[in-house]
Amino acid sequence: MSASITAVADLSDRSIMGDDRLVRTSRMAYVVAVISLIAAAFVAWKQNDPHGLAMIWLQNGIFVLTLSLGAFFFVMIQHITNAGWAVAIRRIAEAQAANLTWIWVLFLVPMFWLLITNREWNGFGHGLAIIWPWADMAYLTEHSPAEGAIVAQKTAFLNPTFFMIRACFYFAFWALATRWFLSTSRRQDQTGDATLSTKMRYAAAPCLILFALTSTFAAVDWIMSLSPAWFSTMFGIYFFAGTCAGGFSIIAIGCLRLQAMGYLRGVITAEHYQDIGKMIWAFGIVFWAYIAFSQYMLIWYGNLPEETVWFLARQVGDWAWVSVALLLGHFIIPFLFFISRWMKRWRGTLAFGALWMLAFSWIDIYWLVMPVVPHDVATFTTYDALAAAYATTSTGLGNPLNYLMLVGFIGLSIGSATGRLSRGSVLCRRDPRLNESLQFENI
Amino acid sequence: MTTFSPQTQTSSPSPSPKSSLLPLYGMMAEFETPAQIMEAAKKVNAAGYRFWDCHVPFPVHGLDKAMGIKRTILPLLVFGAGMTGTIVGFCLQAFTNAASFSIWALVWVTGYPFLISGKPLMSVPAWIPIIFELTILLSALSAVGLMFLMNGLPRLSHPLLSNIRFRRATDDRFFIVIESRDPKFLRSKTEAFMKTLGAKHIEVVEDR
Repeated sequence: MSASITAVADLSDRSIMGDDRLVRTSRMAYVVAVISLIAAAFVAWKQNDPHGLAMIWLQNGIFVLTLSLGAFFFVMIQHITNAGWAVAIRRIAEAQAANLTWIWVLFLVPMFWLLITNREWNGFGHGLAIIWPWADMAYLTEHSPAEGAIVAQKTAFLNPTFFMIRACFYFAFWALATRWFLSTSRRQDQTGDATLSTKMRYAAAPCLILFALTSTFAAVDWIMSLSPAWFSTMFGIYFFAGTCAGGFSIIAIGCLRLQAMGYLRGVITAEHYQDIGKMIWAFGIVFWAYIAFSQYMLIWYGNLPEETVWFLARQVGDWAWVSVALLLGHFIIPFLFFISRWMKRWRGTLAFGALWMLAFSWIDIYWLVMPVVPHDVATFTTYDALAAAYATTSTGLGNPLNYLMLVGFIGLSIGSATGRLSRGSVLCRRDPRLNESLQFENI
Repeated sequence: MTTFSPQTQTSSPSPSPKSSLLPLYGMMAEFETPAQIMEAAKKVNAAGYRFWDCHVPFPVHGLDKAMGIKRTILPLLVFGAGMTGTIVGFCLQAFTNAASFSIWALVWVTGYPFLISGKPLMSVPAWIPIIFELTILLSALSAVGLMFLMNGLPRLSHPLLSNIRFRRATDDRFFIVIESRDPKFLRSKTEAFMKTLGAKHIEVVEDR
């Protein structure tokens, strides 16, 4: 329908080929990242708190992981639905997802290091148990026998060896799959071979199944097993909903930044922005809230002590404020903010909303990872007594190490993704559905 | 190709003598491509007609804009209906769980306070599913219902459906119909105007 073209897409090299503009951005991000990480190392050395450092490391690592996992999911869902509209923005998601080819360094290296070291750490135990209590059953049983007795039945699954094998499998799958999707898409840039689109569509189906399994198990392994006696069958999907909030937001911000730098002029239009906004709204805000509430309500209604302790840890002291902030900031405020189509179409409001969602998906991960279930919880007779005893529990949000690590990891992530974009086209320029995407309009 | 072939007609309006007794519904112009109807729609809009419409066999992107159609207020109404559901859901449960409730300052009404697993009577988490469902229910019903209402549906018949040529609107032709109730409609003038649109065929539609 030639009559409907409103803005002419600029498909010149200056507009769609990565060049020194992106290289500069990439270098800048790396420089910021390195400075932050050096500062973080200094602060960590001053604080001399290996447990705190490990937790902050894990939390920020998982946060940048979710950004790439969300982008990976985005790429696969567009392929499997044979979506035409997303062709104009798919490369950005592919480049972001391809961060999964190296993110394992942030996880596996420290994990292996913790695994092989056997030193005493601040009297807290040793090795992996510095974060995951099940890794040192002797210590756990000695210090909290009730929890130890429950966790002892889970050691067939939760033991360091199997844990590392699983982690390697997740990372291997993510790295290989995202690499394949990016390189196949790039091969199409060169050859224009339409069968590659079909190939990617076929591959997306098994990859989505594996993605669901690996992201669920990763969430269980790395986050849920921080409180090894606790369990929730909703946990994996809660984590997945969170990855969508962060991943789709970073795609929106990536598109906005690239256009501000002079790329993709007329290629990405308000129509595409509206659809990214819809996906943030549907997956990252509404679906997240739906799942979060489902998890909360089942545990609240069942009222079983071994389940409720997890939420207890999140409503004593300052954590209550974080929980309320999450409800407001991750659901109610952005729900109303993004409900109108114009808020998704205007660049300013979309950028604000996406940055807001990024901030709150960071807080969401923080809320998942950081709170510690009180070990003496069974000694209290009433909730009020426990709440009073833990009224001064700090969230640790004031610790600058959080933010230095965050900037460092995000910087590495952005530097890597933009560097990847600079080495090729920033548009799937010979995808057979490109024209459909350029002329895409919401009805 | 199409199995339906209309009988040969001239390009001028050709109401049969019998039908001229019937009231006039409007004038219909037939186009062969989306691009043509897009151009024509812009001109009809610019000419200031209000009661007119385009009939196309598939969605033509940008046609709404060319016709100068304002965005529907349906989303706002649906939002209002959804919020009504939220409030009704909340009040319904607050009311029915209340131990005693002064209603209209005259009558004491007792709700049905029922203790469930030691939860407080007024426990909002337990109410959320009902509130959620009522929000969705009222939103969905109002979206569908108001869409029908605002489109004037359902209706059993429409003058255009009696027109033989118009049948191709579901196949391969694009129609613009200007209704006779339009304040600017004047049979001779509108006909002359429609001839400037580049239509393949122009015809009078009777209000059968």
